[in-house]
Amino acid sequence: MSGNGNGSANRVRAAEHARRAFERAGASGHLHVVDVDDGGRGVELDAGAPVAMASVFKLPLLVALFQQADAGALDLRERLSVRGDGAGLTGISQMQDPVELSLRDLALAMISVSDCTAADALYDRVGQPAVQDCLRRLGLTATSVDGCCRDMFAAIEQGTAAPAQTTPRDMTALLTAIWTDTAASTAACAAMRRLLQLQVWPHRLASGFPSDDVTVGGKTGTLPGIRNEVGVVEYPDGARYAAAVFTVTEDVTATLPEVDASIGTAARICVDALRHGS
Amino acid sequence: MDLLRHLRYFVAVAQELHFGRAADRLHMAQSPLSQRIRSLERELGVQLFVRSSRQVALTPAGRVLLDEAPRLLAAADEVRALVHRVRDGGLGELRTGMPPDFDARLVAGVLASFRADCPEVRLDIQQALAAEQEQALATGAIDVGLVWHPLGARGLVTGPVLEKPLGVVLPADSDLAAHEQIDLGDLRDRALVMFPREAGPATYDDVLGTCRAYGFVPADVLHARQREFGVGLVMAGDAIAFSFDGEHAGEEVVWRPLWGSPLRMRVSTAWRDRAAGSTVDAFTRAVVATLRDEGGWVESRAAAPRQQGATVRRPSSGVLS
Repeated sequence: MSGNGNGSANRVRAAEHARRAFERAGASGHLHVVDVDDGGRGVELDAGAPVAMASVFKLPLLVALFQQADAGALDLRERLSVRGDGAGLTGISQMQDPVELSLRDLALAMISVSDCTAADALYDRVGQPAVQDCLRRLGLTATSVDGCCRDMFAAIEQGTAAPAQTTPRDMTALLTAIWTDTAASTAACAAMRRLLQLQVWPHRLASGFPSDDVTVGGKTGTLPGIRNEVGVVEYPDGARYAAAVFTVTEDVTATLPEVDASIGTAARICVDALRHGS
Repeated sequence: MDLLRHLRYFVAVAQELHFGRAADRLHMAQSPLSQRIRSLERELGVQLFVRSSRQVALTPAGRVLLDEAPRLLAAADEVRALVHRVRDGGLGELRTGMPPDFDARLVAGVLASFRADCPEVRLDIQQALAAEQEQALATGAIDVGLVWHPLGARGLVTGPVLEKPLGVVLPADSDLAAHEQIDLGDLRDRALVMFPREAGPATYDDVLGTCRAYGFVPADVLHARQREFGVGLVMAGDAIAFSFDGEHAGEEVVWRPLWGSPLRMRVSTAWRDRAAGSTVDAFTRAVVATLRDEGGWVESRAAAPRQQGATVRRPSSGVLS
């Protein structure tokens, strides 16, 4: 069909449309979108550029946690007593009294509502070396996690660089590993996908795919002037696409809904190009 | 008594005129056969055979019954076979719907293809908007429909999804007509002719959402129930419209494909699980074959079509969230 044109030219054009979508929202963005089952085909905007992860670091932390459970180094039913410190704005972080939760329920809080108290408790239990080791074993050499939420809050205070960075390409590789059962055991990968699909935020990646028959699972990341989400979009025909989208604005206003929505818009444009291009 | 079974025994004896040979033919013993003939005679209140030690002969009543019985038995066999065919889906009626504005050639093609496959089935076709069909499927007013995707209704089973890219219809003297392909974003702030939203709310929102994503925010959206009316608005230079290749030939408007085919119509048959059966399958085959072979539609890359509802509900859209 003449309308299909050349596949790779269409993907380049889709990337340009994604760039314009960020621009219209007043942001700039880096992204990588790939077909989970055919990683050779992708749409990218500077997919190898280093980007600040913000709360996206909770994703490799989640994988490290499940890998340690697979290896028998810890039991996901082990319980920790945690207390919110009010720094994060969701979940346990805002609770006034201590609570005791299993590691897997802390993981649910960390992923579904980006709970910082839960994330830091898991980070302390798993340990930074284990997270870094997990990244190395998965070949994600452009990603480094050198701190957790409390370190990120401190970096904001001090005006220093956030202690976790990655590239869009590394994040689609990580998502692909989770969705193809190669990041950990089959059961662990299924459990991680379930947690990511329980994430509550509808305003970023999911906003680009407003359909009951499309499933979206992902993890957001937010810092002043930074809005990210990495996730997988699954269609009823069985096709699935990993998207890693990282935006930056000069405006550090906390509420910029158009930038949030541009993450979904850009991902949708790229997914459409992969679905329909030759 | 089971009259039909007794009539079969009678016919065997009447044709053989010999109880032993008739019993062999019926694979039974002679004595129960004799008893059944006697109980048939009691039931009808007449004697059917004259029995002597040497031979068996029909009475006048027996001769009348031999004339009539085969016809009765054949009719009974026919009724039985007919009912079984309805049960197996080879006969009866299939109530279905098609969206208005569906290409006339394709409607005719689907009908011809279905009739060739199931000549005994009466096809009742109603013209109904995709959204109305989803409603009719839910209430059981139709057995199978032809609906646009994404589906608004849940709990429907769908056939293979076919899709076809939409292009843009422009006035022939438009500045964009010189391009071989049009970038959706280059339509920028022109007015757009659309089908009324109620014709397919999910599809309508999908099309406009995609336009916005590519930077085409129509200055105005004009609604046309009929395609011809929409083309009239395009001819007048008031707007652009989306349509399939080949739908509009003329000197005053031109059709151009869109770069990357970002807009696509998707269609499939749909039915309730309860309505599944061989005639629904035959209708689906007729639709798929006709749209593919005569309409230029292609099957979506369908790794594993799933039943609606197999997707994971989003927490932000969950009940009570």
